[in-house]
Amino acid sequence: MEKTTAEASSDQNVSVPVSIWEAFRLHLICGLGLAVAFWVAHNIYSIDLISNPDQTLFLIWVIETPIIIGVYSISRWNPKQCSFLKAVGHGLLGIPAGAFLNAFGAIVLGAPIGFLYIKRTISWSLLMSLFTFAPAASVFGSSWNNWQRLFVYAKPAGIVDYMICLPAHGTVIGAWLGAWPMPLDWERPWQEWPISVSYGAIAGYIIGMVASLGFIFMFDRRRPHVKGD
Amino acid sequence: MAGSSNEKRRLIWPFFLILILHCVAILLFTRGFLLTRTELSSFSHCADISQSPCFPSPLEAPSTCSSSSSPRNFSETDRVNRHERGERCWTKPAIDRLVIIVLDALRFDFVAPSIFFDEKKPWMDKLKVLQKLAYDKGSSARIFKALADPPTTSLQRLKGLTTGGLPTFIDVGNSFGAPAIVEDNLIHQLVQNGKRVLMMGDDTWLQLFPDHFEKSYPYPSFNVKDLHTVDDGCIKHLLPSLYREDWDVLIAHFLGVDHAGHIFGVDSSPMVEKLEQYNAILEKVTEVLKNQSGPGDLHENTFLLVMGDHGQTTNGDHGGGTAEEVETSLFAMSMKKSPASVPAALDSSVCKLDLDGNKMCFSFVQQLDFAVTVAALLGVPFPFGSIGRVNPEIYALAAGTWNQQSTTNTNCKDWLNLEEWMQNYAHVLCINSWQVKRYIDVYSASSVIGFSSEDLLHVEEIYAQALNNWSNSVQKSFLSGQETLNDNFASTLSSLEGQINTYSNFLASVAELARSKWTEFDLWMMGAGIGIMLFSLLVHFIAFRRAHMLCQATYPSVRASGISSRVVFAVFMVAMRACSFLSNSYILTEGKVANFLLGTTGILNLRYSIMENKMLTEAVAFLLLISISRFIVEIGLSKQAVSAMLMSTYPLRMLGIDESHFFWVFISEIVPILALVFLAYLLYTTTSGSSCWRVFKIIFTTATVLSYMLIAVHWALESNMLEIPLVLEGIGRNSVPRIIYAIGCGLLVLLAVAQLFKQKGKTSDYKEVLVIKTVTMLSAWSSTIIILLGRQGFLVSLVSIIAGWCIIRLENLEQDTMNGFIGATDILSVTQWSLLAVSLFYLTGHWCAFDGLRYGAAFIGFDEFILVRQAILLAIETFGASHILPILALPFLVSFKHQCCGSNKKRGTLFIKLSQVLLMYGLITAVTTSLTIVCVTIQRRHLMVWGLFAPKFVFDVVGLLLTDVLICLSSIYYFSGIDE
Repeated sequence: MEKTTAEASSDQNVSVPVSIWEAFRLHLICGLGLAVAFWVAHNIYSIDLISNPDQTLFLIWVIETPIIIGVYSISRWNPKQCSFLKAVGHGLLGIPAGAFLNAFGAIVLGAPIGFLYIKRTISWSLLMSLFTFAPAASVFGSSWNNWQRLFVYAKPAGIVDYMICLPAHGTVIGAWLGAWPMPLDWERPWQEWPISVSYGAIAGYIIGMVASLGFIFMFDRRRPHVKGD
Repeated sequence: MAGSSNEKRRLIWPFFLILILHCVAILLFTRGFLLTRTELSSFSHCADISQSPCFPSPLEAPSTCSSSSSPRNFSETDRVNRHERGERCWTKPAIDRLVIIVLDALRFDFVAPSIFFDEKKPWMDKLKVLQKLAYDKGSSARIFKALADPPTTSLQRLKGLTTGGLPTFIDVGNSFGAPAIVEDNLIHQLVQNGKRVLMMGDDTWLQLFPDHFEKSYPYPSFNVKDLHTVDDGCIKHLLPSLYREDWDVLIAHFLGVDHAGHIFGVDSSPMVEKLEQYNAILEKVTEVLKNQSGPGDLHENTFLLVMGDHGQTTNGDHGGGTAEEVETSLFAMSMKKSPASVPAALDSSVCKLDLDGNKMCFSFVQQLDFAVTVAALLGVPFPFGSIGRVNPEIYALAAGTWNQQSTTNTNCKDWLNLEEWMQNYAHVLCINSWQVKRYIDVYSASSVIGFSSEDLLHVEEIYAQALNNWSNSVQKSFLSGQETLNDNFASTLSSLEGQINTYSNFLASVAELARSKWTEFDLWMMGAGIGIMLFSLLVHFIAFRRAHMLCQATYPSVRASGISSRVVFAVFMVAMRACSFLSNSYILTEGKVANFLLGTTGILNLRYSIMENKMLTEAVAFLLLISISRFIVEIGLSKQAVSAMLMSTYPLRMLGIDESHFFWVFISEIVPILALVFLAYLLYTTTSGSSCWRVFKIIFTTATVLSYMLIAVHWALESNMLEIPLVLEGIGRNSVPRIIYAIGCGLLVLLAVAQLFKQKGKTSDYKEVLVIKTVTMLSAWSSTIIILLGRQGFLVSLVSIIAGWCIIRLENLEQDTMNGFIGATDILSVTQWSLLAVSLFYLTGHWCAFDGLRYGAAFIGFDEFILVRQAILLAIETFGASHILPILALPFLVSFKHQCCGSNKKRGTLFIKLSQVLLMYGLITAVTTSLTIVCVTIQRRHLMVWGLFAPKFVFDVVGLLLTDVLICLSSIYYFSGIDE
């Protein structure tokens, strides 16, 4: 444990210092991207999550992927050894891997399986992977220690860490909570898999972004003290 | 030595205290919530009427006093008596034949004209023929609003209709599994009195009355999605039967409306189609009856009843006590034209004028009154347990049929006609009141939980008053005959009216008393139960803290457990599960919810294992196992949802595999047997490793392996794989399971005996002793449970063993974070253990409903039915995999955790830890059960209270008591090493 934190702090030294405003801008871009995706789905293709869950999810994913991978690749961890394109490549590779893990988790927890649901599950897990895995993959590539620090210990140690860790956790927790209304007998169309779960995940993602800004703000205020010591 | 036995006692007594507290709490709550009624085995007989005060001259009736307690010795005396007294039994028969058409879930607004409702809905006015018949001039037909009593499920309602009683959720009687009615009932009386009953339609009738019907055409009611099979079957037999003479009472039960409601809801086109179809059938039926109703014809004296057994909500649900479910309709029609007029005081009708100015009316009837009214009309004895009143309006409809003759002969005036009718009715009510009074007396004398003495006294008073009236006034007029009637006609009529009123008053007060007794909750009792339950939770928690303190005080090396993230997660999981019971939807999908939570803990464990960078395989294996188990649970749930189509196609056909192919048959035969071999091997390896209890181990291993082999033989006999002579098969089918049960019992007795005469102090390794003890205990139970579970047993045992092993292994994750100290008991693993137990309950194909019990399992090894024996087998089958095995296996959680061999000190901690684990497991079960109880209290007026919440409550409560008892027993059994 000591070892990892030591590494983490050493990692911190090489990484590009990201200011709080940059973080704010980055989250704003991601959030706007999400809004644009919904707008496009609603006004141009006139589909929504409830009537066409798989297509809408896929559309959101398509629009959001370049944005998220792009902005996170800019603030990659070691820009000297890793070019922007390489970071983008990492991010793109991370998506299917993350999608697989997300889909596995969903199936363990009870996501329905069947021909009807395969497309939905795939689009949903791609989107989940985009929110959870892609940022980390773009920023850290395949650095196991950083992944472990963020997703296993959940101990972010820097602005970029907060930016990745909190939205990702928010997404997963939101999706988990979003599954709870599904068995209720209200017989609403949004209780179908994976609509409520997707709503939960997106809400969790947004809350995670806001929370991460808050944490970054506090972290930023504390940092001068650390430097002073 | 004394000190340590003292310590043992200190560890054990909290378990017993908790058990007692739970018992008291549940007893109180159940007294208030689950209304029970004792079924009496007394039957009414024709001869009984001589005991009634209603016949003026005792000489007329034979003086034989029949003790009415035996159900079967009816025929001889009854028939003889009837011959002595002419055709008349209790009442003068008013009709000869009766056609009852039951339309399941017939809402009141299906039948009644739409002018009675605020707005005309698409499903209204579809049964035009009934309305036309009821409102035609001079017709003797009427529409009634029939009020059912909850629970409004078909089975309970049919029972209520035929017995004339108020079936409660649990009728204490000697029916088990089969719902056959053992009480006295209308159908029984009909058969006893020589009426031939023809039944067609819903096969529930056949379950209720297995051998009463002269002839029956039952159709399966199981498949809700099938709207037509039952109805088509009914239609096929109904019309031809109407032309036949070989029946006296015809019952046709249509199910289409109920099923259409369940699937499509009331406001749907299939519902409207169904109603239109019924309209056409009813038109044909009434046509046939009318054409044949001339003098001397087949249906000269036939009575037609078209009725619903209960209503339904617009969603098609029923079971609860809301107005929509309780209000159903009854249409009664006599083939004779002139109905007797009913005095205004007895007329309950509500009338409205329609657009054309025609007067339209409907009356009210209680379903409670159905049995006794029909019995009075047909002239058979009233069912013994009936508490209904003969309905004046229905009685008047049919009573016109024998009034007619007398009116034509004597040319009497209307009032005389009326008076004669009233006299008759008063007489019928007299018999009715006497019969109800007799039932109340017998019931309160024989039932454990009878009526309160105040209530009885009150009823007694009213009855005495009514009786007094009768003997004074009416009897006088009876004796003096017709000549005085003209003189004091007004006074006679008013005295008759008064008489009828006093009887009605008495019957109403009895019905009210019975309703309050059998359909109303006792909130004080329920509150007291909940209070004690919550108090027991507090005690439980204190006991847990106390064990923890004990642990710390005696062995300071144990680190104080702070609130780690694992504890938070565990508490959160239990809280989520407990709170989920507040909604009926989560109760319905409890298996899925448990799996969801178990999966979440699995994912958390995976995270911990990545954190520690070890035991990744176990964590992943656990997750895979959960995903497998969730599919099995889902298949089980689909079975529950009666989607039989899905069930049969789901597992294999989806993959395009022909199930009947030899290869798959072979696989399905051979895999369970291989699994058994694996189990036996596992048992052998675990026991052979250690050095203690040498002789014992050999006995146990051989006995268990032997019974596993017998199970394999049993399965082979069941399947048709091997060609075995029939004789051998007959012997093997029953004797093999019996031998297995015997071996299981023998092993348990051996364990108990060994407990008493154990060798002392030979081994120092108590951890090993504990493991051996657990393994022997489990193996003693396993073979019985596996054979009862049937072929799925192997799957369940494999899943539970692998999952249990994963949990035990993963538990060490926390221990290691404690840097080699003996960590505190891991709450998360105990939570997982308990969640796993819940999923196992669903995995074994059960669910919390009484139709989820696998009655077939009770008859493995036995053909005939003995209540206690079969109940024990059924209980082991139901709770074996989910309660008995997990609780008895709890010591594994402790014994595998301690890696280093036990010194004296460690042994002490071992037992304290074990008691902690047991307490924690009990606490988790108690918390969820308490929440179930609270939720049942909140939802007691819910629609699904009898369909869903009450069964869930019963299962949870039985599960909790079983858990407590097992924990107490295992504390005695496993702690016995402590005082050495």
